[in-house]
Amino acid sequence: MIRSFFQRAPIRRLLVVVGVVAVVELITGPPGSNQYPTSGFTGSYSEAASFFGLFRTQRWVVFVALALIAWGIVEFWTRYGAAIRSGGSSALAGPRQVSEKRPVRVGFALALLVLGILLPHIVNNAFWQSALVTYVAIYVLLAIGLNVVVGFAGLLDLGYVAFYAIGAYTTAWVTGALPTPPPFGHALDAFWAIPFAVVFVVIAGVLLGAPTLRLRGDYLAIVTLGFGEIITIFANNLYGITGGSTGTKQIPHPVFHVGPIKYTWGLAPVPYYYLALGSVVLFLVVFSLLQRSRVGRAWTAIREDEVAAESLGINPLKFKVMAFAVGAASAGFAGVITASADNFLFPSSFTLVFSINILVLVILGGMGSISGVVVGAIIIQVVQAYLNHTPPSGYQQPDLYIYVGALLITMMIFRPAGLIPSRQRRREITLYEESHEGHPDEVLLGDDV
Amino acid sequence: MTTENVFDVEHVTLRFGGVVSLNDVSLFQRRGEILAVIGPNGAGKTSLFNSLTGVYQPQEGTITFHRADGRAMSVIGKKAHRVAGAGVARTFQASRMFSALSAFDNVKIGAEDHRGFGVVGAMVRGPRTRHDDRRSDAKTVELLRFVGLADRANVLAASLSYGERRRLEIARGLATEPEVLLLDEPAAGTNPAEKLDLARLIRRVRDELGVTILLIEHDMKLVMSLAERLYVLNFGSVIAEGTPAEIRANPVVVEAYLGTSAEASA
Repeated sequence: MIRSFFQRAPIRRLLVVVGVVAVVELITGPPGSNQYPTSGFTGSYSEAASFFGLFRTQRWVVFVALALIAWGIVEFWTRYGAAIRSGGSSALAGPRQVSEKRPVRVGFALALLVLGILLPHIVNNAFWQSALVTYVAIYVLLAIGLNVVVGFAGLLDLGYVAFYAIGAYTTAWVTGALPTPPPFGHALDAFWAIPFAVVFVVIAGVLLGAPTLRLRGDYLAIVTLGFGEIITIFANNLYGITGGSTGTKQIPHPVFHVGPIKYTWGLAPVPYYYLALGSVVLFLVVFSLLQRSRVGRAWTAIREDEVAAESLGINPLKFKVMAFAVGAASAGFAGVITASADNFLFPSSFTLVFSINILVLVILGGMGSISGVVVGAIIIQVVQAYLNHTPPSGYQQPDLYIYVGALLITMMIFRPAGLIPSRQRRREITLYEESHEGHPDEVLLGDDV
Repeated sequence: MTTENVFDVEHVTLRFGGVVSLNDVSLFQRRGEILAVIGPNGAGKTSLFNSLTGVYQPQEGTITFHRADGRAMSVIGKKAHRVAGAGVARTFQASRMFSALSAFDNVKIGAEDHRGFGVVGAMVRGPRTRHDDRRSDAKTVELLRFVGLADRANVLAASLSYGERRRLEIARGLATEPEVLLLDEPAAGTNPAEKLDLARLIRRVRDELGVTILLIEHDMKLVMSLAERLYVLNFGSVIAEGTPAEIRANPVVVEAYLGTSAEASA
């Protein structure tokens, strides 16, 4: 009896909400000690933190109230959300019709592009102009690349940072900032590092992919994890080639010089922003064209059922390697921009945590959904930049992981397909839940999120 | 060399550790024939299918697939996608649709050419790609009509009925333009009316499209009415071969299915 009570979906959701709010409460509360480990709950709000003394009360009272309000909202949304959005017709009623009409989103995309172009002039503030490059644009570029591997082809890559590192170090090599001499004996401009970086990264993708992509699921994840570590360790220890842990020499700013046109990037972040924005737009176009092509459909087939795909003449290994190489290309690009904008490279920037961060952006945004991944990356990275720039009292940089972790758990429960889910992914998750005889409530939840 | 045969299977043995799944199996299939493989559960029928399509790699024996153009291919040692590309299509026992895709996309994926590294070509949609795309679309529509699912083209594969899913799987297999179609229990989970439709469809695939059919089926009524020749497998070995009438009269087959009668063993 008790068991079935706790298995009821609303009760389970209540427990989840209480858990999440409890975590938030503990994090934001006064630090505990050995004697009082729960002071996050038992402390009271200080005069200053309370709203005009209205909430000058014990923290746990606020906590319970918050939890109940959050639960109420979740329950209301679960029960009536689908009806509100679809105007009364349930998502589960009738056969699921697939309307694959290509949406007229070009206008919307163009509006966003104009906004993107104007953005550095709107914010007009040194910190945010540089944050748009280092926090946002680079991460968007990386997230949409990883999305090809994880979202389109369904391969869990935990070593994506390796491609970013290869792109960045290739830039350093080409511009002569490494102890190894640059190619052809003389240093080239950072702008010309782009083709080198892309070619190297694609080769690295094929070299890593060809032997390892025979593995599936968890095994592949472990191998890619190892690959990411190997590249970092190489950068750290191959002192004579990479400069080791002390980093590279100064990488010059790129110069674009073709015929009469000459442009030099300097210290100002805005020109880098436009370089990054340009490459984001380029890769967005490339990846969405690929997604709708027969290559994209082959990726979908492999992701859904590899055995069936193979029975139709699709070579899974070939298409997986292709996904690895194509996805790596944007990381190579991001590497070039980082290297030339930061001017110095250190192996400590290319860690496992970095790969995980990018993966989190992809998962939160919605695996397989390009627009979702872009939006997810922008939101998370802007929040991160904001928190680092103007930290609330008591906030320290590593705290972000706690919040992102809590957000990730919450998302997995209530919106497993991501912020803006791809239609296919959402269906896959719903079908999976149905096939595992989930509680009726859950099926509805999975479908209408 | 017998070019009128599509498959020549000679002395094939397939083991999984100590378990012998196929034991010295030899059989052949003529071009244009509807051939059935029957046998009790665990007799090795699906193992045979998987060996014929390159999913399993038997340790001993040879499997030769003769193409209509006279070229022969040794199946053992080839990857499943190579065998599929050479003209052997199949369906699966537990149907394996791309459930989150529409019926149309399921078939279209089968209809597309997956050879070559056309990343750039696929992306920029040049005249060649667009032409291929139109061709795949046309082929998909035609095949959906052929199996009677034209009005279900935009429905998710997962929301199709069992019978419809079976037919969709046949259409998807046919989209690869095969010479042989291997059907693994196509009638499983369908009702009597759907079984009749299915039998009619399978015969049409052979008669109108000229595709050779190899069939695994448990429904005896269906098998006996459809197949022109049968092999009976039991414990991984071929125990009988013949026309439906011969098989029905064969005491060895009756024994394999019903067990030895008390009088006979006494």
